[in-house]
Amino acid sequence: MEFLGLVNYALFMAIFIGIYALLALGLNIQWGFAGLFNAGIAGFFAVGAYTSAILSTPAVEGRLGGFDLHFVLGWIGAMLAAGLVAWPIGKICLRFRSDYLAIASIGIAEIIRLVIKSEPALTNGARGISSIPRPMGDIGYMESQIAYLIIVLAVLIAAYVLVERQFNAPWGRMMRAIRDNEGAAKAMGKDVEFRRLEAFIFGAALMGLGGALFAHFNRSITPEAIDPMVATFLVWIMLILGGSGNNRGAILGAAVVWIIWSVSEIATDRLPHEYAVQAKYIRLFLIGLMLQLVLRFRPEGLLPEPLRGDQRATKSGADQH
Amino acid sequence: MKTKLFAIAAGLMTATALASVPAKADVKIGLLGGVSGPIAAMAPAMIDAAQLAVQQVNEQGGIGAGETLVGVVGDSACNPQGGTDAATKAVNIEGVVGVVGPHCSGAVLAAAGSVTIPAGIALITPSGTSPEISNLEDKGTVFRTVPSDDYQGRALARTMKDQGYGKVAVAYLNNDYGTGLANAFKSEYVDELGGEITQFAAHEEGKASYRSNLAELAKGGADTLVIFDYGDGTGLTILRQALENGFFDKFVGGDGMKSDAVINELGAENLASFVASSPVGAKSESLTMFNDAFKGVGGDPDAIFANTSYDAAFLMALAVEKAGGKKEDVAAAMMEVSNGDGEPIRPGEWKKAKELIAAGTAIDYKGAAGEHEFDAKGDVPGTYALFEVGSDGFEVVTEMQ
Repeated sequence: MEFLGLVNYALFMAIFIGIYALLALGLNIQWGFAGLFNAGIAGFFAVGAYTSAILSTPAVEGRLGGFDLHFVLGWIGAMLAAGLVAWPIGKICLRFRSDYLAIASIGIAEIIRLVIKSEPALTNGARGISSIPRPMGDIGYMESQIAYLIIVLAVLIAAYVLVERQFNAPWGRMMRAIRDNEGAAKAMGKDVEFRRLEAFIFGAALMGLGGALFAHFNRSITPEAIDPMVATFLVWIMLILGGSGNNRGAILGAAVVWIIWSVSEIATDRLPHEYAVQAKYIRLFLIGLMLQLVLRFRPEGLLPEPLRGDQRATKSGADQH
Repeated sequence: MKTKLFAIAAGLMTATALASVPAKADVKIGLLGGVSGPIAAMAPAMIDAAQLAVQQVNEQGGIGAGETLVGVVGDSACNPQGGTDAATKAVNIEGVVGVVGPHCSGAVLAAAGSVTIPAGIALITPSGTSPEISNLEDKGTVFRTVPSDDYQGRALARTMKDQGYGKVAVAYLNNDYGTGLANAFKSEYVDELGGEITQFAAHEEGKASYRSNLAELAKGGADTLVIFDYGDGTGLTILRQALENGFFDKFVGGDGMKSDAVINELGAENLASFVASSPVGAKSESLTMFNDAFKGVGGDPDAIFANTSYDAAFLMALAVEKAGGKKEDVAAAMMEVSNGDGEPIRPGEWKKAKELIAAGTAIDYKGAAGEHEFDAKGDVPGTYALFEVGSDGFEVVTEMQ
């Protein structure tokens, strides 16, 4: 194992963590702030990835686009498209509560996946879109990874600062009020339906951005990437483990889960040869076990939601029942 | 709890760092496959077949100056996330000289695009059939031992035209395999050859009944149904229901339909009007050698993509030997060890190949799944034949051009 190889691997992990952190931040707006159980992350991820791919690839016959635009426009387009798709979905589905919303959103994500897979004129169908340009992609392996990591970090920091600002602003307090006691929030004159929709759309736009970053990093996007396991449930685990309602928790959760997910394979590879294939399943077990342990011993996550003043007193009082 | 979790994570990483000091005399190749995920049932046999090639190399003198070849298994999970992750680890942590896999096209595209092409590592996939892989700007580093879906679809269209098929309806599974084959077939059959396709419809897998799909397909008066699906899955259901209800007279399948499950389930006597295309590799001397060797280690040679996986790993070993272990030269060497010129090498003949390479003689690998003569895009043309069902299983009707 060379030192440069380790650096390259660390860079790769950091890029993936950055992308997943964006997804987790988006989910945090929806679940952590507004209490919306969205189990359709993969759908918005896909909308963003494909929108950016269509906008930024050179023109191809047989499918929509490409429009050969700058990648920044592609990413903005990805956020807009994911937000636009989220709007009618939210309008209809947000009337559902908790688990019903989860079921509906899983269904929505599946619809999006099947449309993408079955509409060659739009997305090149099951074959997906390749030769998506990667910003600074042509300057050597490690250099281009460093450049992309800087871009991802810049995007992530910008997203974090903005979301954190919102969290501490009156808007964030209002969202938490709606989450914790809808009736009271309504009585205070808040337009609950509209605010929930707002949170849903903002979250979806961030997920779309994450999808776009993913597609440009891999230079390709195929329907196989819209796997609920890695694009929805892994993100949920990250947020729950990191601490829902806490933006730093979301990012930390993304880092911890991805590092364990990825590094555990290297560890299991040290098992004897005959178990090389079987050992791979240990990873799935580890992630499941971790989720169980966190839910059992620390349900609020590694970094719990910051609570202030009286809220803290009532919260811990309520917990003692 | 926080500290505990960090401790676990840190512990894992430390254990990894400690355990992974490599033995000096190992040459590693990555064997990436969809161990978890949708093709989890297929992947172990494919990886075992690749490991067989590694084992033969080591039994017959090893690689380079008697070094041991090691196949490092990575889980690409049949999706781009897993594919890039596994490829990054193989290239950077394990320091492989070449990558065999991943198995699924989406994982191949992502792993090649973000890892192996920038790093200049040769990649050869045994089962990524998407035509998109041909179009990668790969600087000659991406290969495959399975023909693009495009090729088989077109060859099947030409053969059917020669055999005098008229109006056909096409039913295909809605994934990259079925879609790729069906579209290539359609563009050749209709646009190039002037044939007529009355209905052209995708179906989702795993439904109990496809009668309504079949009724729809039968509209338009075609007497032949072309099925691009898997004969041990949905394709079998469709074929059975079409036979039971008499929707069509004749049936044609792609290589996925040439499965013994079809004969076992439906009976040879009912399949007189059924033909399927498949790689001719099916009957060569090389295949027999592979089958015997794979049975010898307890493998099932009929497992799907087992022979292409073996060929991919063996070709990788030959290329590494030819390149003298220098990873930047492996891709160029891959072209040289299987371009149709030179002393033929068959599966398992590592010792002979090693001597010839040492002597500077050109070699040409004739694989279990075909001759694997790479074109400029790293694709293999594939040699296909049309099979019918005889009393003794599948029998060749004609070679496909």
